[in-house]
Amino acid sequence: MLRLIFALLTLPLLSFTAAADESRQPTHSYTLDNGLKVIIREDHRAPVVVSQVWYKVGSSDEPPGQTGLSHALEHMMFKGSKNLEPGQASRLLGSLGASENAMTTRDYTAYYQTLSRDQLPVALELEAERMHQLSLPEDEFLKEIEVIKEERRMRVDDNPNGLAYERFLTQAYMASPYGQPVIGWMHDLDRMQIEDLRAWYRAHYVPANATLVIVGDVYPETVKPLVERYFGVVPARTPVPIRTPLELPVGGERSLVQHLDVQLPSLLLGFNVPSLGTSKNPWEVHALRLLDAVLDGGHSARLASNLERGSNLATTVGTNYDPFSRGDSLFSISGIPNLSRDVSLEQLEQAVWQQIDLIKMTPPSTEELERVQAQLVAQLVFAQDDINTQATRIGALESAGLPWELVDQDVEALQAITPEQISDVARRYLVPERMTRTTILPLAKEAQP
Amino acid sequence: MKSIKPFALLRWLLALVALGIMLAVLLNKSPREEMPPEPTPVAAEPVASSEPDMAEEVFGSPLPALESLEQLDLETPPARRGLDLQHWTTSQGTKVYYMQADELPMLDVQLLFAAGASRDGDKPGLAMLTNALLNEGTERLSADDIASGFERLGAQFSNSAYRDMGLITLRSLTASDKLEPALALFAQILAEPAFPAKAVERVREQMLAGLQYRLQSPGAQASEAFWSALYPEHPYGILPDGQADSLKAISRADLQRFHNTYYSSGNAVIALVGAISREQAEQLAQHLADALPDGPAAELTPEPQPVTASRIQVDFNSEQTQVIVGQQGIKRGDPDYAALYLGNQILGGSGFGSRLMEQVRENRGLAYSVSSGFTPMQAPGPFSINLQTRNDQAALALEVVNSTLDEFIAKGPTEAELARAKQQVLGQFPLSTASNSAIVGQLAAIGFYHLPLNQMQLFMDEVQALTAEQIQSAFAAHLDPSQRVTITVGPPQPEADAEPDTENAEQSEAEAIPAPAETSPTEKATP
Repeated sequence: MLRLIFALLTLPLLSFTAAADESRQPTHSYTLDNGLKVIIREDHRAPVVVSQVWYKVGSSDEPPGQTGLSHALEHMMFKGSKNLEPGQASRLLGSLGASENAMTTRDYTAYYQTLSRDQLPVALELEAERMHQLSLPEDEFLKEIEVIKEERRMRVDDNPNGLAYERFLTQAYMASPYGQPVIGWMHDLDRMQIEDLRAWYRAHYVPANATLVIVGDVYPETVKPLVERYFGVVPARTPVPIRTPLELPVGGERSLVQHLDVQLPSLLLGFNVPSLGTSKNPWEVHALRLLDAVLDGGHSARLASNLERGSNLATTVGTNYDPFSRGDSLFSISGIPNLSRDVSLEQLEQAVWQQIDLIKMTPPSTEELERVQAQLVAQLVFAQDDINTQATRIGALESAGLPWELVDQDVEALQAITPEQISDVARRYLVPERMTRTTILPLAKEAQP
Repeated sequence: MKSIKPFALLRWLLALVALGIMLAVLLNKSPREEMPPEPTPVAAEPVASSEPDMAEEVFGSPLPALESLEQLDLETPPARRGLDLQHWTTSQGTKVYYMQADELPMLDVQLLFAAGASRDGDKPGLAMLTNALLNEGTERLSADDIASGFERLGAQFSNSAYRDMGLITLRSLTASDKLEPALALFAQILAEPAFPAKAVERVREQMLAGLQYRLQSPGAQASEAFWSALYPEHPYGILPDGQADSLKAISRADLQRFHNTYYSSGNAVIALVGAISREQAEQLAQHLADALPDGPAAELTPEPQPVTASRIQVDFNSEQTQVIVGQQGIKRGDPDYAALYLGNQILGGSGFGSRLMEQVRENRGLAYSVSSGFTPMQAPGPFSINLQTRNDQAALALEVVNSTLDEFIAKGPTEAELARAKQQVLGQFPLSTASNSAIVGQLAAIGFYHLPLNQMQLFMDEVQALTAEQIQSAFAAHLDPSQRVTITVGPPQPEADAEPDTENAEQSEAEAIPAPAETSPTEKATP
């Protein structure tokens, strides 16, 4: 699962492409009386279907001292509901050959099942039941919180780059709750109580705070009655209002030096930028996405061509920007200097700044932009090879407070951006006052045998 | 598909840094070491089971009060995508596998060569370096030309190398103004990679950095120790990423020789899935085969010598201990594959509901992920169980793993587990053939491992006919505990390693069956 999401977010800006007119798939969107939003997209290539439920609650909603609540609740969603013993739903789905998973991010918590189209009612009934009749037994929680701590050790504590990134975020976000780790601080996991999770569940697992996305070999005439039967009975309640995570516009230059158990030094620069969820000028966000693509949209993009191949200063270097978050975002640039040629972190940073300054002064060429467009258009066809990818795009947009229709309008939005606008956002946002730098350096030598 | 190219790894690391811990995922199935496309199972004559209580047999008893379950038709196997798989050979004898898929205007091409790290000889890293350099320059084009050539067409090129194979793939739109130039560029890469000196140096440096990066990953350390212990005198025992000194010793001539020998038309399998006709596919495959150097199929990888049980601790400064328990397993085409596959689903191959997941995670909270699996390869590949747990629980987790495995080998699955697993395999099939990318991978593997074209169907039929006794005897025949290797990577655990920890033994529900660590020679090694 991590791989899937990873692939989604790293296909540079191309991850959220649209369906072009000729290939646009029939999509039906409506809302149940209890407030649950339902989006059904038809894809009849194979007799399979994916069902996803997205709750608009993630780590950015968590108060200090209670980090990790949303993710822990995600785990507990598998620990039984009114008619199901702990783990029983997973065993049932497993028996059917279905694949299921869940994920928690800063903005949302999502659950999905991929299965044969005839089995869709099972997925819907199970998911609807745990939307309002979750058991949350304490004995199961006490075991599961240990699993979650193991997960944290695996992903973060024993992964120096994970650890470094977690610390970096605390500096890069001065005001926004995006500085908190999704999995939670270990000291917060240590003091988490089952009562905290029960309260979190009551407050946020409400139909009006959720989106049901179904993509696959289904027709609305048959699916709508099923959805009504299973989800229609979930009582309507008023959800907690969502507060958009906002960051200070110009926080000042920050720097964090970290000595960790790494073998290779690395550099990470993050610039505070808006997202589609916060920007008053959406063109800026689309221009930042194109900036991301011009710098790192493939092997032929500028950073790979100039710093990995041309000057050989970087072993690897790349950019990352998540434009579809609910709150203010980061545009980051990270790299590992070429140690075989004794390149220092300072030299690498200098080379990165040269690339930034270049694009501030000279807009990208027509050829560069055409290459980006060609990839976009192809990507939107390729993306249709997988129903999970399609559903995830729709659900992630809705969960960030953005309309799913953007999926089908994305190419047009990007095509409207001029080369000069790309230079413009580089000048506006890639500036020291918005930057957090972290350098990750190996521990002193005697530590390793 | 997991790429083990070192700079792919580094890019992954970067992405991880950037994406970091934003994502937390519930069900982490440990990636298997060798991940060539797996011909998965497949569908199936309806299983004749007229028993009225089939639902209880499959789902367990009592059934939860869910109306959707009651209405489910378990007698009819789930519908699946029609698969018209076709096979022929080019004039050179290159094997071609093809399926027409007109729904989307795109084509997936995979070329597999018996050009994996098992061909490295005395130059570990050679296969991977050769593969990584294929798109770094031809006689006429630079790396920049190649990258921008594909990207301006929206085409996606990828290359990767494993122990058995070197892999090259292309995904393109089928509009002729896109497909034709993309294929022309692809063919040129196949025909005349130039291994430019500057690119060789750069990619070599990236691989050296990749080796260093491995040193900070306890999982990579565990995996390397495991393969090395299982295959001490066999090519599978060497690290595909190479070693610093061997990488530095590889010359341009070595790369050219390796390419000429192994990236040849007789040593290739071509798989095509997409919106092209049979006639187009035949022309296209012939065109690609024509571009390859002439040459025969490589010899098969030799059989490894069996190893005796050992216990290896690699010291590492970490919060968790990585545990791998395993031994040599089977090769592709082994007659027991279906029995071992199905048994492994029950043991630890199917996530929640499998015995290892229940025992290690659900009942005891010892680990976030635990899984088991066979990796059938050209020569017998490994069977392994992987987990990671807090250091002070490692001895207990190991004991639970060993007793769960021993119990399964001794007694096999229950009838209920068997029925459930069969239904599971039936249900998984439609998912495993839903996308073009999944099908092209399975087709390529069928060709590479010389499996019959109807392999998926044969496999499904075999699975549905299996008995609990057949599974038990296959496990007993293939997983002799006297060959079981145990790897732990983490801080040294002085006493617990050599002798069973009595305190933990009391906590465990395991009884009667001695852990192999007690009966086998214990070995300490630090790389």
